[in-house]
Amino acid sequence: MQHLLTDPQKAKHAEFKNFVALNVEPFAEAWDREQRIPDHVISKLAAAGYLGPTLPRDYGGQDWDVVTFGLLNEALGRGSSSLTGVLTVQSMVSMALAKWGTEEQKKIWLPPLAKGEMIGAFALTEPGAGSAIHSLATEFTRSSGRNSLVLNGTKRWITCAQRAGVFLVFGKLEQRSVACLVPRDTPGLQIEPIDDLMGFRSAGLAQLVFSDVEVPVANIVGKPGFALSHVAPVGLQYGRISTACSALGLLRGCFEESIAYAAVRKIDERTVGEIGMIRSLIARMGTDLEAGGLLCHKACRTEDDHLPEVFENTLMAKYFTSIAAVKAASDAVQIRGASGVHGSSPVSRFYRDSKIMEIIEGTSQIHEELLGKMFVDRAHRLPK
Amino acid sequence: MTSSSAAQESVVKDTVRRFILSSVNVVDLKDDDHLFESGLVNSLFAVQLMTFIEKTFAIEVGMDDLDIENFKSLNAAAAFVVRKNGARAG
Repeated sequence: MQHLLTDPQKAKHAEFKNFVALNVEPFAEAWDREQRIPDHVISKLAAAGYLGPTLPRDYGGQDWDVVTFGLLNEALGRGSSSLTGVLTVQSMVSMALAKWGTEEQKKIWLPPLAKGEMIGAFALTEPGAGSAIHSLATEFTRSSGRNSLVLNGTKRWITCAQRAGVFLVFGKLEQRSVACLVPRDTPGLQIEPIDDLMGFRSAGLAQLVFSDVEVPVANIVGKPGFALSHVAPVGLQYGRISTACSALGLLRGCFEESIAYAAVRKIDERTVGEIGMIRSLIARMGTDLEAGGLLCHKACRTEDDHLPEVFENTLMAKYFTSIAAVKAASDAVQIRGASGVHGSSPVSRFYRDSKIMEIIEGTSQIHEELLGKMFVDRAHRLPK
Repeated sequence: MTSSSAAQESVVKDTVRRFILSSVNVVDLKDDDHLFESGLVNSLFAVQLMTFIEKTFAIEVGMDDLDIENFKSLNAAAAFVVRKNGARAG
């Protein structure tokens, strides 16, 4: 895939990988064990400009193209899926706001998000509405006599909610979908950490309980009636690109760990890499890595080119890399044998984290449903 | 409506019609057919259509433009694009 990158993109990818090698990989196991990423790590990400990568410079962002954004996620995904989750949700909130926010909202919220002084979290999923986002039960009502809304409901599995300073909350207002910014310190908002996940253990997930939470009408993003059709898709699009590329990074991690191990580990007189069955596993891993890289690049390029097929391309990239990452992580553990299931090897964490990739930003089954319909529908438009 | 804007609307309608017909299973699409209420397209298609219009006609759809009246039919979309282009030129 390297040949598809411009020289500046290659230089940024090298910078990102260097950042991860120094600041992420040596510490990711400890964060996973402690189920927390230290604040100073987030500060380093922010100082490098990695928390506002695609936001316009006018608001303090880096204004990088989406291919570069994908490379950043890939590099971070190699080191820690949980840390990449911070960038995922930050981008989902900030890019939805950049597209659909009022000028006043952008002036207030985007600069601190772009500089990483504030983390945003995307509050869409509910106990009764995961992938079925049209079943939202969270409700906004108009406060009598005041220019505000009253919010009641529960959001669950919200990535980075333990750390976020602002939430983009989706619900219903007078039977129409609505998205609204809710600051963390708003009275009536209770944040309950969700610990002991199988993977993504330091991504700071939480449940949000809103009990008569009052928010200004001015915090509505977009217009009522368009939250699910227009606001959420912009965020989810960046979420899927981020997750696809993060899974690609995890896949690269599995590949690099596996070939390094296979080249030196000996059984009798042969290295593991000389065994045909191991070569089969590595062949599949390396080919998936290349194919996933091409799909991710295509998704990012079509986003940069603002082409309508970007949605289909992004679904394919996320669907492919997340499934390939699960397979690669399973095989990477298998290749290492007993040492692969111990915390001293990153592949055991990759194995646990990879499964999460198949679930977040739409399960593989939801992707199959959407992509399968798109592909079958094409048959009706084939030349007769 | 001036003859110039009428001609622009006609071009926009034909272009958007071709995009919709190439994207969804519809044999024919009349200028006033309601795209969303009639079920011709689903809500997933709404952002794709908006992205196509933004890219093809070099306009940016913003928060103030979020109105189903702007996208409900070919006639509505064409009038919206011509109005946005006019506002930009003005």
